[in-house]
Amino acid sequence: MAETLSYSMPLALTGLTFAIGIRTGLFNIGSEGQVYMGALAAVAIGSASLSYAGHAHIALTLIGSALIGMLWALIPALLKVYRGVHEVLSTIMLNWTAYYITMYISSQVLVDPARPEKTLSVLESSRFSTIVPGTTLTGGIFISIATALAYYFLISRSVLGYEISLLGSGIDVARYAGVNVRKIMIYSFLLGGIASGIAGGLLVIARPPTYAIYGTLGNIWGYGFEGIGVALIGRNNPIGIILASILYGGIKNGGRFMEYYAGIDSDLVKAINGLIVISLSMPELFRILGRLVRR
Amino acid sequence: MDDSGGRDRPYISMRGIVKIYPDGTLALRGVDLDIYRGEILGLLGENGAGKTTLMKILSGFLRPTRGLIYIDGKEVRFRDPSDAINRGIYMVHQHFSLVPSFTVLENLCLVHGRGFLTTLKGLDLDIVREKAKKLLSVLGLDVPLDIPVENLPVGVRQRAEILKALFIGANVLILDEPTSLLTPYEAKELFRFIKELAQKGAAVIFITHRIREVIEVTDRVVVLRRGLVAGEMITRSATPEKLSELMVGGEAIVRREIATSERNILAGKPILSVRGLVVLDDLGRPVVKGVDLDLFQGEILGIAGVEGNGQSELVEAITGLRSVLKGSVILNGVDITNKTPSYIYKHGLIHIPSDRDRLALALDMKIYENVLIGLQRNPAYHHNIIPRIINWDTVKKAARELIKRFSITAESLDAKARALSGGNRQRLVIARELSKGAKVVIASNPTRGLDIASTSYVRTILRELRDRGAGVLLVSSDLDEILELSDRIAVIYDGKILGILSREEAKRVDIGLMMGGVQAS
Repeated sequence: MAETLSYSMPLALTGLTFAIGIRTGLFNIGSEGQVYMGALAAVAIGSASLSYAGHAHIALTLIGSALIGMLWALIPALLKVYRGVHEVLSTIMLNWTAYYITMYISSQVLVDPARPEKTLSVLESSRFSTIVPGTTLTGGIFISIATALAYYFLISRSVLGYEISLLGSGIDVARYAGVNVRKIMIYSFLLGGIASGIAGGLLVIARPPTYAIYGTLGNIWGYGFEGIGVALIGRNNPIGIILASILYGGIKNGGRFMEYYAGIDSDLVKAINGLIVISLSMPELFRILGRLVRR
Repeated sequence: MDDSGGRDRPYISMRGIVKIYPDGTLALRGVDLDIYRGEILGLLGENGAGKTTLMKILSGFLRPTRGLIYIDGKEVRFRDPSDAINRGIYMVHQHFSLVPSFTVLENLCLVHGRGFLTTLKGLDLDIVREKAKKLLSVLGLDVPLDIPVENLPVGVRQRAEILKALFIGANVLILDEPTSLLTPYEAKELFRFIKELAQKGAAVIFITHRIREVIEVTDRVVVLRRGLVAGEMITRSATPEKLSELMVGGEAIVRREIATSERNILAGKPILSVRGLVVLDDLGRPVVKGVDLDLFQGEILGIAGVEGNGQSELVEAITGLRSVLKGSVILNGVDITNKTPSYIYKHGLIHIPSDRDRLALALDMKIYENVLIGLQRNPAYHHNIIPRIINWDTVKKAARELIKRFSITAESLDAKARALSGGNRQRLVIARELSKGAKVVIASNPTRGLDIASTSYVRTILRELRDRGAGVLLVSSDLDEILELSDRIAVIYDGKILGILSREEAKRVDIGLMMGGVQAS
């Protein structure tokens, strides 16, 4: 169970990124790249000797991750708002850009001189310690849940959240309601970037034992896209996303053992996981597609 | 073609055509129409008179609820447009049906010799090109064949569409408001061309609301009004006045006592004043071409006109939804030209839009959430202590009150707005907008699609607003509505105000003439 939660921690955040995009009427799939950039920032700040900062080092690291995730999301936002570039195109391209930047910096700049297959590990002062001994579950899960709850409050109670929903239900009604469409679109991207940036940061500073990025990016890869599935299962509602991420984390965690104990090919496990996600996300997927077609 | 012979026996006869749309709209109530070879037939009528519906039935896009179609005396039934095309009947819609990224030639290939054999043999571009060129030279028409359609001017695109029709072998050509997108020069070209076509023996049916064009180009004119044939004339013997009368109906206006004296109104300063307004449409063409308007407190100023003459763009420009190219809009002494909608609302204007489902409501959101549209920044609906956090309890309370006061039938506040009927949707919009307490109301087709009870309710509310001193700008393509409500009536045609009449001097015929583009004497 603890291991499941550990998997769900980043997924809840990347799920939020996609969900807030859909709520605004945007198909923002840039989470993956924002995760990479967030992780990179975490390594850079976390491995810097800021130990005099004490526990504030953790906060500093996460803020750095959130900021760079936000900046990375600002690029497609500006392209969309001022140049009309479709967000699917720009975010996919930026995902790959982030991938290669992270690859380069991990292997050339922030590389661990003793173990060149990974980056420097972040210092003790910026690590979340495990809360269940013998597992990889750390206090990072609280950050993840707290962020999801904050987003829930923002979406359902604030003026910003209301204007986001209005824009999502139609650009014409939003303009009629006096919503500044450009501003709200940019905010939506930035909020998404923050969540995924934090996810990337947590993958580094809250996932023992490495507390670093592998040169293959193997330990931070894929969470952004899996977040889409999480968001679809959670019906784009932050509370639903927390629950969906736990379910998804469980599937992911459980799947690891299938080959070992039951002799099932790991690719088959992935395929079955995929089927589960597709089946569960059907209702939401149809709703979204239906809305696109109606326009 | 022997002219007298053609007169004697119609090529196509439509008999007793009735069309009821699935939503219950009665579009045609028994129409008889004869179409002769070698003739240009004008089909004249206001919006919703049934012109387009009738022709869509003839061209196979719609099936009549009742009624029969005969070609050369034999009964035919069309299952779909291709049945009609096989009989030589082709309709050119207002929105063209060419593939924009294909060249004209490629578009012709799409319709060239459809069938199994052609598919097997493959297309021979040269054959298509030869055939197209021959057709063009016979017709004396100029259409570039190798330029993608999207790069052609609208007038040429239309010619390409007509070329396509003749390429298929159409001998009955239906043109739906063909001049609405054309410049005057392009329209002249089109007229010349269709006259030639008719001389060659084809039948051309010309759907329009412009009286001048009917007189200029047609041989015979049939006027539709509310789903019935209101009259039929040989164009030579028709006058604009006569056609206008047929189009908008007789002189039967019920004159209502005027609550406010007009002299009083005009003495004051205008509460909304529009000067020299020029606005472009989505394609960048000017559609509002220098409009001057003054709206005074305590009056309803009706803007009459057939749809598509710039009124929707005019409304959007005044309400901040579309940018103003030239001119100014002054609201209550404040310049609101090119300001954002929220700025304009703040200065006392509310907008009841024509397309309420798309603009004024978020149908997929809950009813109480819809009550907040446009009010979301109003602190009255926010949390007492935390700023910019919505207090949904207050919103729900307000929603409950509005539902009660405006007798809206809704299952629950949590239901989606989509669940409301058309009449209740409009009531919700009006309820919400009026709760904003504005001095100027812009209402655009406020009763379109509503049942009788809701219609009279909405009209009563507009009158009440006027009597309480608000200025109401009523834009409607329903002339009866304009005549019933307005204190003054402005007629818009082709982006310009042709004239402003007071209720006393407003004659139905004059308004009809102006709506058809003829300046009243």
